[in-house]
Amino acid sequence: MTLSKEKLGALCFFILAIAYGFEAQQIRLLPGDQFEAFTARTMPYALAWLTGLVSFLVLVLPQKGSGETFTRVFQGLNWPPTILMMVLMVLYGLALTPLGFLLSTVLFLIAGIYTLGERRWKIILLTAVPSAVGFWFILVKLLNVYLAPGEIFLALNLGA
Amino acid sequence: MLDGILQGLSTAVSPVNLLMVFVGCFAGTFIGMLPGLGPISAIALMIPITYGFDPSTGMILMAGVYYGAIFGGSTSSILINAPGVAGTVATSFDGYPLAKQGHAGKALAIAAYSSFSGGTIAAIFLLIAAPALASVSLSFQSADYFALMVLGLTAVSAFAGKGKFLIAVLMTLLGLMLSTIGIDETAGLQRFTFGSLDLMDGISFLLLAMATFALSEALMVILKPAARSKEAEEATRGNLGSMKVSKEEVKEIAPVIARSSVLGFFIGVLPGAGATIASFLAYGMERNFASAKEKLKFGKGSLRGLAAPETANNAACSGSFVPLLTLGIPGSGTTAVMLGALISYGVQPGPRLFVENPAVFWSVIISMYIGNIILLVLNLPLIPYIARLLALPKQLLTPLILFFSLVGVYLVSNNTFDIHIMVFVAVIAIFFRLIDFPLAPMLLGFILGGMMEENLRRALNINDGSISFLWERPITAAILAITVIILLAPLTKNIMDIRKQRALAANDGES
Repeated sequence: MTLSKEKLGALCFFILAIAYGFEAQQIRLLPGDQFEAFTARTMPYALAWLTGLVSFLVLVLPQKGSGETFTRVFQGLNWPPTILMMVLMVLYGLALTPLGFLLSTVLFLIAGIYTLGERRWKIILLTAVPSAVGFWFILVKLLNVYLAPGEIFLALNLGA
Repeated sequence: MLDGILQGLSTAVSPVNLLMVFVGCFAGTFIGMLPGLGPISAIALMIPITYGFDPSTGMILMAGVYYGAIFGGSTSSILINAPGVAGTVATSFDGYPLAKQGHAGKALAIAAYSSFSGGTIAAIFLLIAAPALASVSLSFQSADYFALMVLGLTAVSAFAGKGKFLIAVLMTLLGLMLSTIGIDETAGLQRFTFGSLDLMDGISFLLLAMATFALSEALMVILKPAARSKEAEEATRGNLGSMKVSKEEVKEIAPVIARSSVLGFFIGVLPGAGATIASFLAYGMERNFASAKEKLKFGKGSLRGLAAPETANNAACSGSFVPLLTLGIPGSGTTAVMLGALISYGVQPGPRLFVENPAVFWSVIISMYIGNIILLVLNLPLIPYIARLLALPKQLLTPLILFFSLVGVYLVSNNTFDIHIMVFVAVIAIFFRLIDFPLAPMLLGFILGGMMEENLRRALNINDGSISFLWERPITAAILAITVIILLAPLTKNIMDIRKQRALAANDGES
């Protein structure tokens, strides 16, 4: 038997409700809180119970949605470039501090445009470089936003 | 009130704010036209830009983006049958057949006139309804606010679509759960931080809005690429036909516009219902009003079928500002993002806004008139050129949208950890999108979560821990009664459906 996408989602929520409820027990209470009607745990407890109850209802009630199985939902999609773009975003986050805003943005845009299928270097560079430089100019020169220079440039004593 | 209106007018017509309406309408039209990106993304992308602005200016820009995005969605609905926004799906029913018959120009012109009329008429209603509701809501107490928030969240789930009620409730609960992460404001205790310093302040609203909408919508465009149709190629060349609308046609659609404006506005005011529901209801209403002969034209290029949803969706946009500005409770995902933005500007929307910040309150309302005029002036002559934007290659646009989303959040926090959290949240959002779990209720739950907890805590403390406040105050009791009716409506319908099926099965068995 394969789960439908709605049931899969409900199952995830059911597990989440249990985990959230357990974690809610770890919230520390202030002295005297046992006499209070409302503490830091009240809302999380209520949410854990409600989520558990509603997800259980979705799991046991007859299917009302499309009934499409969850495996079919993930098939036939353009996964490789999507995953690559996600990796690029993570790398962009890692590169910002050492390389600085300008260089890491240019590299991210070049890599992103290339990943999505553009192979004409002139187009890639004409999109990536002016966009990054233009945005940097607006931020730093017009809006006076401080952007820390890349550590690598500081280490090389280039300062930008 | 007159003082407030004049103050709002002077703020709204200042050169900077006029420029913002113009920029907002243009940017909104452009983003709304891109299939896959809706008004929530459009507004979320604007938030980091508006951080340094005066609150009125920021709100004016976002309001311009909102109706610009709805109009942009209509353009892609009519030209290529690819609605950029859910609120313009009904527009494609008759707009696209008209475009196929060679009347794309006329369809776009009618869409522009209808949007303008709907938006303007609704803005007049807003001018009357908002201050009235604001003065009533000054008497609201914590218990009433708590009940209103429960009503808002329930309504969002109830309007989520057939068979989706419980799923939308789950998503709302997820938003509420996310809102509990960080330090509890009253007790100062850590909740769900797992010892991480980065989670002490909780999850940033901007991060969540950007990751779940802008970022994941852009990634979905890569994941599910849409094939470019012949119509898209044609539209991008600017061959739209005549844009003239005859006198007879104006006569035909004028009553439709009047009816749909009123319907759209009131649907927009309801918490949870927004432009999408308003447009579908207006379309259905006009089909019911039409003569048997006219009814046959619906779905094949009826002018009434095009004018009704276009008017209603813009009227609903104006209507949805009523609960936002007067109660501080957003009625839709889009206004939820605006609420988050207002809070980040240091402005607390609600009944006091009308008294304490009349410039923000009135300038937003006045800017709606200006926005509608600008949309008409901007879009009619520019439609053939704007349509060419549809030709911009996705491989160039998508990385730029991703970059703007990431940098928007990074610039506010200056913390690269946020970029990684965004990617993580976007992955989860994509999972939800693939399994058809709606994300707007989650965002609404997240934004209202803190306020809801605070009001419940206060109401309980005032009542010595008793929950009698739920039925002791007539306003609270009435709001909760409406909530119960909304909750029970889908359940009753389910039971009736099951009975019908059983009766049918029994009949089949007998025959």
